[in-house]
Amino acid sequence: MTLRSRRVLEFILDNLVWFMLLAVLIIFSATIPHYFQIGIFANIVEQSSVLGVMAIGLALVIISGHMDLSVESVAALSAMATGILFCSAGIGMGIELTPAWLAVPVSLLAGLAVGALIGALNGYLVVKVKMSAFIVTLAAFIWVRGLVVAVSGGRSAQDLAPAIRWLGIQRLVGVPLTAWIAILCFVGFSFVMAKTRFGRHLIIIGGNEAAAFRAGIKVDRILMLAFILAGATAALAGWLLAIRTSGATANLGTGMLFNAFAAVVIGGVSLKGGVGALPGVYAGVLLLSSINTAINLMGLPAHYTQVIHGLLVLAAVLLDTAKHSIRQKLA
Amino acid sequence: MKRKLLAIFGALAVALALLTPAFAQAKGKVYYMVPTLLDEFQTGSVSALEMFLKQVGYEMTTLNADNKTDVQQSQMNDVIALKPAAIILAAVDFNALKPSIEKAMAAGIPVIEFDRQITSTPSAFTSVAGTIEIGYVAAAEVERLLKEKNGAVKGKVLQVLGDPGDPYTLDIQKGFEEKMAAFPDVTIVSKPAMQWEASNAGTIVADQMLANPDIDLIFNHAAHLSVAAVAALESAGKQPGDVYVMSSNGAPVGLDLIRKGWMQVEVEQPLYAQAAAVAMFMDKIVAKDEIKPGEYDVLGLKSTVTAEEWGPNIKIPGAAITKDNIDNPAFWGNMQPPTDTIKSVE
Repeated sequence: MTLRSRRVLEFILDNLVWFMLLAVLIIFSATIPHYFQIGIFANIVEQSSVLGVMAIGLALVIISGHMDLSVESVAALSAMATGILFCSAGIGMGIELTPAWLAVPVSLLAGLAVGALIGALNGYLVVKVKMSAFIVTLAAFIWVRGLVVAVSGGRSAQDLAPAIRWLGIQRLVGVPLTAWIAILCFVGFSFVMAKTRFGRHLIIIGGNEAAAFRAGIKVDRILMLAFILAGATAALAGWLLAIRTSGATANLGTGMLFNAFAAVVIGGVSLKGGVGALPGVYAGVLLLSSINTAINLMGLPAHYTQVIHGLLVLAAVLLDTAKHSIRQKLA
Repeated sequence: MKRKLLAIFGALAVALALLTPAFAQAKGKVYYMVPTLLDEFQTGSVSALEMFLKQVGYEMTTLNADNKTDVQQSQMNDVIALKPAAIILAAVDFNALKPSIEKAMAAGIPVIEFDRQITSTPSAFTSVAGTIEIGYVAAAEVERLLKEKNGAVKGKVLQVLGDPGDPYTLDIQKGFEEKMAAFPDVTIVSKPAMQWEASNAGTIVADQMLANPDIDLIFNHAAHLSVAAVAALESAGKQPGDVYVMSSNGAPVGLDLIRKGWMQVEVEQPLYAQAAAVAMFMDKIVAKDEIKPGEYDVLGLKSTVTAEEWGPNIKIPGAAITKDNIDNPAFWGNMQPPTDTIKSVE
């Protein structure tokens, strides 16, 4: 193999998920009626916003060599907190602020505070008490969802304050502002991971925690921060979810954890830690949304959609596995 | 001082221990096996059943299965061991709970099917609005709305189901499509909102409005799905009435959307009447007396008890809620529980 062709192959392998996305978009556009249109592509980007933001936090924790199963429930709690405070119907309290736009930062801060607090508790139990992240966050997944049901009484809040809903309706270049928020998050966190000491240390810790400690990296502090960020980004995802659905129900976000995991893995993050980059995760999220949209547009009987969804995700992960074997052969 | 405090607490504990069974034994304890507490109908059913059963002298305890069949089966086994006066079951899965029902009935514990009809095995009593019938009512309303919009029963309908693993939504679909088959000029596009999750419904509506911009009407199988559907329509620049929206179950969120003009119809499940019927017949069920077929007045609704292969079955008519009758306090979505006390059927 010549040096040039080797470089081309490595470039393709490095960005395989993006090529997969491109291939999927071309195939679906050519085969599924109505798929190829700007509106559908805008929908894919918009539908990726909640899952994308949730996947960022999850990816950070997985890259650090741990796990956070609580992100879905934290998002639901944040959505419910936003709904209860700023929805005017159902169980919403309909709080009005002057000027009205203040509802945006206040609701966001309330949600973020809830998420960061749960993230900090998870982090404390994992880092300081040395409990298994799997067990701690699994417990949080259950008790936080329970809290959503308890505070809502199983009822829903709807009719979100227009100042907040505005972010879900207003479009910039055909894409809702909520999707731009998600894109900004990916850009920001990708920069943090690639260009800051925190990002580099997180990857080193994920690769070998003991070696990172011996190298003088403040492992506990970095891990704690990773869990807090996972909680906060999950809460941001919940806030976006409340905007998207103009309120919150007790089962909001159910099933998103597994999609977030799938996106993270497809995006090239190793579940063993120490490997992964956020642009790939975003491509993974877009890929899942593209598949989901294709299923929505195909005339499939309702009962088969989950089967198709699962098989397509499996195909994406298999391709990713093939990528790793090719890379090993190249090395 | 310490001894006195201990004596007081001890006396209180003894008094409580004596009082609790005395109350519970007024007429007996009933267990309600609710499939989930993640939707407003189910949450409402807990408080309605509790209220009506208390009026006729029964104490109720609720166990939530979180939409998991295996959890509900375990709960049934546990409750059978406690030998309650009766079990009210709203089954997660219509067929999987059959052995548990048979086990309870064999142990002499009457099982009452609530909201979700199980016809494969006998029960002591069944109180339903009829999920297939909800589909029928919905079809009649779609017929009316399409005629109003297009001058004839023609056009395109987007049907947003709940989770495709839930027989409840499949029965509504069955009833709806059975009646709509009479109208060949109506195209029905059916898509499932996995796990009854609202944002999935929003995604479906957003995609379908681009793929099928000529959709005339969206029929969601639950009101909370309509909230997300309407949010998606709003994001797509639609105004109330551009696309007709309807849903089933009669939850408060649905009524709110009708009042705002976004939704035209909500097919109500008569929650209060369904719960009241269970309480009205509870004495007879517990005593294993015969429940005679015929017409009964349940909270003002003419309801029919029939003797079926699976036992006595009361069917309470569902109603179509529109902007003309929306303020009727009998609709559970208005959250005004009936003030009249119900009486046991003699």
